[in-house]
Amino acid sequence: MDFELLYHAFGTVMLNPTNFLFVFVGITAGIIVGALPGLTATMGCALLIPFTFGLPPVQGLLMLLGIFCGGIYGGSISGILIRTPGTPSAAATLLDGYPLSQKGLGGKAIGMSTVASFLGGITGAIIMTFLSPQIAKIGLKFGPPEFFALAIFGLGMIITISGRSLLKGIISGLFGLLITTIGFDPLSGAPRFTFGSQNLLGGVTFIQALIGLFGYAQVFRNIEKILILPAVKSRVENILPTLKEIRESLKTIMKSALMGTFIGSIPGTGCDIAAFVAYGEAKRSSKHPEKFGTGILEGVAAPEAGNNGATGGAMIPMLTLGVPGDAVTAVLLGALTIHGLQPGPMLFRDHLDVIYPIFAGMIMAQFILLLVGLSGARVFARMINVDRKILTPIIFFLCVVGSYAMRFSFFDVGLSLIIGVIAYFMEYYGYPCSPILLALILGPMAEQNLRRSLIISHGDPLIFFKRPISAAFIIIALFVIITSYYRIKKAMEREAQMAAEKEEID
Amino acid sequence: MKRADIGVGIGLIILSTWVFWYANVYREKEIYIYGPNFFPQILSVLMGLCGIILIIRAMRGEVLPKTDRIDIRGFLRMVIAIGMCIGYLFLMQGIGFAMGTSVFLFVLMTFLGQQGLTIRIMSSMAASVIVWAIFRYFLVIPLPTGMFEFTF
Repeated sequence: MDFELLYHAFGTVMLNPTNFLFVFVGITAGIIVGALPGLTATMGCALLIPFTFGLPPVQGLLMLLGIFCGGIYGGSISGILIRTPGTPSAAATLLDGYPLSQKGLGGKAIGMSTVASFLGGITGAIIMTFLSPQIAKIGLKFGPPEFFALAIFGLGMIITISGRSLLKGIISGLFGLLITTIGFDPLSGAPRFTFGSQNLLGGVTFIQALIGLFGYAQVFRNIEKILILPAVKSRVENILPTLKEIRESLKTIMKSALMGTFIGSIPGTGCDIAAFVAYGEAKRSSKHPEKFGTGILEGVAAPEAGNNGATGGAMIPMLTLGVPGDAVTAVLLGALTIHGLQPGPMLFRDHLDVIYPIFAGMIMAQFILLLVGLSGARVFARMINVDRKILTPIIFFLCVVGSYAMRFSFFDVGLSLIIGVIAYFMEYYGYPCSPILLALILGPMAEQNLRRSLIISHGDPLIFFKRPISAAFIIIALFVIITSYYRIKKAMEREAQMAAEKEEID
Repeated sequence: MKRADIGVGIGLIILSTWVFWYANVYREKEIYIYGPNFFPQILSVLMGLCGIILIIRAMRGEVLPKTDRIDIRGFLRMVIAIGMCIGYLFLMQGIGFAMGTSVFLFVLMTFLGQQGLTIRIMSSMAASVIVWAIFRYFLVIPLPTGMFEFTF
């Protein structure tokens, strides 16, 4: 950690009103996207990446970081007010948030959620700032076998937690990896699976897949269900929690923030798991666990500190090793590559001018989140009431613009639409989309380093086990895949048992 | 879900066989044994295996219970909306981004049942003009101008 660089980065980010503006815009957009049920932080980033194409990398990334943090926090607003989490990471927040809202304390719950999100977010951001350079130093020693093992580790971790079926997660991941083989071969330059089309020479770009998987697919689902989903009405009063209330929850908040940061830093876990673990731990260690679920502020503070702590945690493997922590950081990783920066240890060697402003921006984003969250809660609560029949067409149009603006190509729009239709059906048949996105990112890394390693070892696959770091990554990946298989199997058995019991009662 | 899983399994086997066969074309394009065909062929083998496992599991009744069903009327609505989007792509090239978008948004909002003519006109025009202005003046990214080439 170079404190002088960090100090200068703070100066660059904070003293430049434009940077401040981009973080502000990002946070506000993120909160709006997060607060609207059906729109996730991943989708928000996907839709707003095209708006960063013309910006310098730092400003574009600051805006996207703002959307990430704002989106994770914003999900709690709708969770508290209308019992529908805006993002999956806010699912734990509504357990106590909605009962508080029913008691007429919805505003106070949002206020506590804002304070907890701020404290959680800042804890995660500080840990990220201090820990990332140390991990990157280790990463600089990696060779092709380690990078291949890392890609397999990342893919393994992510596939295993996405969805109710391990097999379907693996199929999605393999499908994504296959997509990465379209276009020029990274080592020989030979075009593959292009069928003579010039448009496919560059492969399926990240933005096409991203908007297809998370933009169009969601729009199609919204259009399908638009007449079924009920209209919602929400309003809030009296936002600020008292100092006493904050002090009472402070221990829970700090513990949840640290746990969230740690969980977020494990690739494949993400903010939603962090929120549930934090909530569970807060309930377990509480002197009055029976009150959880009935509407207490601690029950809102714990998951919110946890999921916002995870934002900083999830950035650590993404920045230092090029392995995204969850779907949103996968999008941020894609955004970095669009701006010509390859996340991983080399980023810490070659682009300190970008890395340190990211650290400073992430910390600054938390202060802006606190400001915007507390001052704009009433407005955001009203935005939940915006009619879907207006919102859905606008999001549809933003998807079209986003998929067009990367290369000014109508072919890209068509390809994104096709990916969107495929993703729409995948969702219905239980195939998760996140592994495809992550495979698109990790696929080229896996292929290049697999082939390089085998060339170095003259075809001996044991090279991956002869080097300790590479062997450790592969063993952990195998361990996680096997344990996940049993975990999912057990969960499915439990689900089937509960369904049978319910049938018996009926 | 059982029939769907069997169908997907068969599809995966066909796809993986085709990928394995097609990737052979790239075998000669690399001096090393691990050429451009290597990775796609590994993936095709794994994908084929997954297809076989999916079919076996479906035959044994090990399928996930369906959590959601496709609403047929909603699905038709979605297909029509995609058709409108394709029409919009052509319209945009003819009359330009801002006007084409306004028309698309207005038509789609009407189709989805949004009440109030004023709100439909205002929101469709506002959304298209705001995004057009951001791209035109702030990001300086060209958008289709159609017959109104002088606007950019």
